[in-house]
Amino acid sequence: MTQLNDTSKVDREPPTPLSYTRPFWDATREKKLLLQFDKRNSRYQFYWRPVSIYDGLGDLEAREAAGTGEIFSFTIAERSRPPFQGHEPFAIAMVTLKEGVNIMANVINCTSEELRIGLPVKLCWLPLKNGANLPAFEPVR
Amino acid sequence: MAFHDSAIIGFAETKIVEKSEHDVCALGAEILGSLIKSTGVEKGAIDGMILSSSMTSAGSVFWSQLMSDALGLSLNFCQTVDIGGCSPVGALARATMAIDSGLCEYVLCLYADTQSSADNRPPKPFRVEWTSALGYLGPPAGFGLLTQRYEHQFGLDYRALGKLAVTQRGHAVLNDNACEKLRKPITVDDYLKSRMIADPIRLLDCVMVCDGASGLLVTSRKNAERKGFTKAVIPLGYGERTNHRINEAIVDVTDTGHRVAGEAAFRRAGLKPSDMGSFHPYDDFIIAMMLQMEMLGFCKQGQGCAYIRDNDFTHTGNLPLNTGGGQISAGQAGLAGGGTNLIEGVRQLMGEGGKRQVANRKTALVTGIGGIPYGRNWTTSAVMILSSDA
Repeated sequence: MTQLNDTSKVDREPPTPLSYTRPFWDATREKKLLLQFDKRNSRYQFYWRPVSIYDGLGDLEAREAAGTGEIFSFTIAERSRPPFQGHEPFAIAMVTLKEGVNIMANVINCTSEELRIGLPVKLCWLPLKNGANLPAFEPVR
Repeated sequence: MAFHDSAIIGFAETKIVEKSEHDVCALGAEILGSLIKSTGVEKGAIDGMILSSSMTSAGSVFWSQLMSDALGLSLNFCQTVDIGGCSPVGALARATMAIDSGLCEYVLCLYADTQSSADNRPPKPFRVEWTSALGYLGPPAGFGLLTQRYEHQFGLDYRALGKLAVTQRGHAVLNDNACEKLRKPITVDDYLKSRMIADPIRLLDCVMVCDGASGLLVTSRKNAERKGFTKAVIPLGYGERTNHRINEAIVDVTDTGHRVAGEAAFRRAGLKPSDMGSFHPYDDFIIAMMLQMEMLGFCKQGQGCAYIRDNDFTHTGNLPLNTGGGQISAGQAGLAGGGTNLIEGVRQLMGEGGKRQVANRKTALVTGIGGIPYGRNWTTSAVMILSSDA
């Protein structure tokens, strides 16, 4: 059984928000995962953009995700650059949230044998050194 | 129409090396000199230049001006195309448009990059906000996600992918311009046993970043006929698609922009996949070629592995593929790498394939892949159909 690295020891550089992505990163300080919601089309989107991908207009709502979903696809990093170098193997996945969007995140507390497409996962958080948090996912057990 | 009415009258390429001792403008000069000598077109007659973007020029916002100055060119049309690995075929398409509009008569399409020896990309580019904190290695990780999903939806025979890797290596052995380190034959087992990078992506799925340059000289078909360029290659059809399925929040990554770009290119050329004499798909990863076989209509979606098993892609086979080794076996000259696939297609149509010349030199299909976006397959897909006797 291969335990995948949970990457919690990685000294990650916190992402630098853009003017229109700041609300997302600010909310992670309270461990809230915010998606953009287009009221005109009643659909969510991720990642954060300055417009709706459905109609090109702005005025998007920020709505908190429930934090449950399943693995859409994954890759196991066997090679990486600093600061991840030496922490392999670790998992990067696309997770389909129940709100109907895909989000890319690390999958932690997981073995390589367990990880599969369709695996139910729930949201958890990895702390960043600026007080923000990085969304991650772990298997629902 | 721009495509049928333009002609490629010359091609040139440098040897691809692991690290070049020469500055990127010196590689550009080598291409310019080679084209002037092979076509007899004087420097003063070249009045248009289109560059592919490059990793080396990533710090410069005046790149096409800087290169044209270094090369001593007076131009009526000067630009850089920045659609990643689609830039070389994209530059050719834009050259035909510039000539057709009457803006210029002879266009130098120049693809030069020294990413291996001088990568000048900024440490924090725009697009890493959502991926850098995950340890996302860029293209290998993106293709790892794509490959895992493909296998889930359709199943995947890695030995079939290995067959493509082996075929391309065999072609690189016959290509003096291929990077020497890669000019050794491999077996399917070598492919399968190569170490994992971003599981299920192996080392021998990936390109190796190198330095190199290539280029084309393009003019109007009428002018080519008037000047007696009997070996001219005609771009018959082109299609380009950026941000395929971007208005979807859950993207089927096994469906790519080549479906749309390919339909457009074949329609404009009035041809179909079975008409192609050779196929030069952009190959940043082995599986990208299989996806293109599916999307361009050589086989149905999900049937790529069976199609690979059933066909011979060597230069003497029924569908010769990347007969110079492609980028995976000749080396990827940074963002100029798409020029390797493109120049090989032109070379075959001009009958200058030498030891690796294909039998059917009537048509060739060349493609591009550019950019690795968040959660999709790639950003731009390009398809170019070339002909020697249109």
